[in-house]
Amino acid sequence: MTARLSHRFVVIAGRLAVLVVILIGTELGVRYGVMSALLTQLSSGSFLTDSGITIFETLLGLFCGSLLGMTVGLVLPQLRFVSNVFEPFLMVLNGIPVIVIAPLFILWLGLGILSKIGISVYIVFFAMFIPVYTGSLRLDTTLVDALHVMGATRLQTFWKVIVPSSLPSVYTGLKIGSGLALIGAVIGEFVASRSGLGHMILYASGTLDTPTLYLGIITLAAFAAVLSFTIDALGPVLVPWRFSDEK
Amino acid sequence: MLEFRNVSFSFAGRRGTVEVLHNVSFACKEDEIVAVIGPSGCGKSTLLSLAVGLRQPSGGEVLVDGRPAKGADRRLGMLFQQTTLLPWRSVVENVELGLEIRGEPKAARRRRAMELITQYGLAGFERKFPHALSGGMQKRTALAQTLAAEPTVLLLDEPFAALDAQTRVVIENDVVNICRSGKRTMLLVTHDIAEAISMADRVVVLSRRPATVKEIYEIPLSREAKSVGDVPGMPGFTQYFNRIWHALDISVAGADAAA
Repeated sequence: MTARLSHRFVVIAGRLAVLVVILIGTELGVRYGVMSALLTQLSSGSFLTDSGITIFETLLGLFCGSLLGMTVGLVLPQLRFVSNVFEPFLMVLNGIPVIVIAPLFILWLGLGILSKIGISVYIVFFAMFIPVYTGSLRLDTTLVDALHVMGATRLQTFWKVIVPSSLPSVYTGLKIGSGLALIGAVIGEFVASRSGLGHMILYASGTLDTPTLYLGIITLAAFAAVLSFTIDALGPVLVPWRFSDEK
Repeated sequence: MLEFRNVSFSFAGRRGTVEVLHNVSFACKEDEIVAVIGPSGCGKSTLLSLAVGLRQPSGGEVLVDGRPAKGADRRLGMLFQQTTLLPWRSVVENVELGLEIRGEPKAARRRRAMELITQYGLAGFERKFPHALSGGMQKRTALAQTLAAEPTVLLLDEPFAALDAQTRVVIENDVVNICRSGKRTMLLVTHDIAEAISMADRVVVLSRRPATVKEIYEIPLSREAKSVGDVPGMPGFTQYFNRIWHALDISVAGADAAA
């Protein structure tokens, strides 16, 4: 136990050290430029709005995409015919690079946040759908048999066996999806937008405003880190039996 | 009482129809333990899946208390070879699963589950997840789960195969006592001759596929013995063992396969 604790401590200390090096490095690199950019952006007011918009798009995209991916991933294997018909289409759709799909979403949903949420939903959907779908194809049929013998209906089996046994895959999907949700939102903003951190970065790049560019990148990285830690913390809630290793 | 009456089972394989069971008939009476033993792959487990409606017989019928077994039947409880505990449910939540499926109120099913947990020596472990338990305790939990629904017929599909030898005897003994004290019918499918003799009142030997009933032995040892662990030391055990071993005809089958 003490060995594990001290190991954890060393890992955390190591991470902090890397973080400090990165921070000092970037700070030196821009020579206080980021701080002044932050101050300018804060006083002009667009930085907070841009951050808020991107965060909102990401979270909503992650939520809706995950829910959709999970639902389809769970229900599709139950309907063998529908599943056989649609599977190749879904796999091809997943293979199309999101960057070429993005302009289509802009055309459909406009320049506002709706198109960015759409793109985010689109890629998060696959990040969730694929592990959940393939996972439920590998379902332990003995458990299904056991419930059948106990007299469970198909619906009871679905809720008591199929849904809970998909939770480890859902957790995997969330981990991958959380990164992709942000990428989707920013790609949308890069293609065409009037606000958001992607817009800010693109604009800063166009006006050779390096400090604002760094500010955008650092903000995105900070948000990505917070999101990733939050999802990690969800593990023991979502799949408690995988996290209790006591004998 | 569980009765197999002229039961046949076949399925469509890649090279035509494969007949697994052919006209199998035998009955397990109330308060009786019957073991079915047969060469590997002969279809012993298929018998159980026919009884619980996981598969449908292609001929004949399975009767429970004189009435045809229709799919999932409250009177039947099954203990599987593999663990069927839901890994995301604690011990107590697993034990009450069958009652939950029937729609029993939460308080009542929790009370019943806790009684069984205490009875089978699982007290103190009710909040643990199955993977935190030893193999023997997992099997006890599965047993409590099956018994919670109060079946009159217990079906056992080689449930002790994965246990270590000592734990195994203890649980076999528990199961025999549960069956004897509760006037239950029990059908045990096994590939272990000693287990069959030690636990059962009658041993049904199946032939190779397509399986028919080859011999049925009445064996009084299990009822006479104080505990399952004593049976192999009793006079007569070796004779029964040899007779069943020869009826199984395994060495010849092995030589055929090797040739």
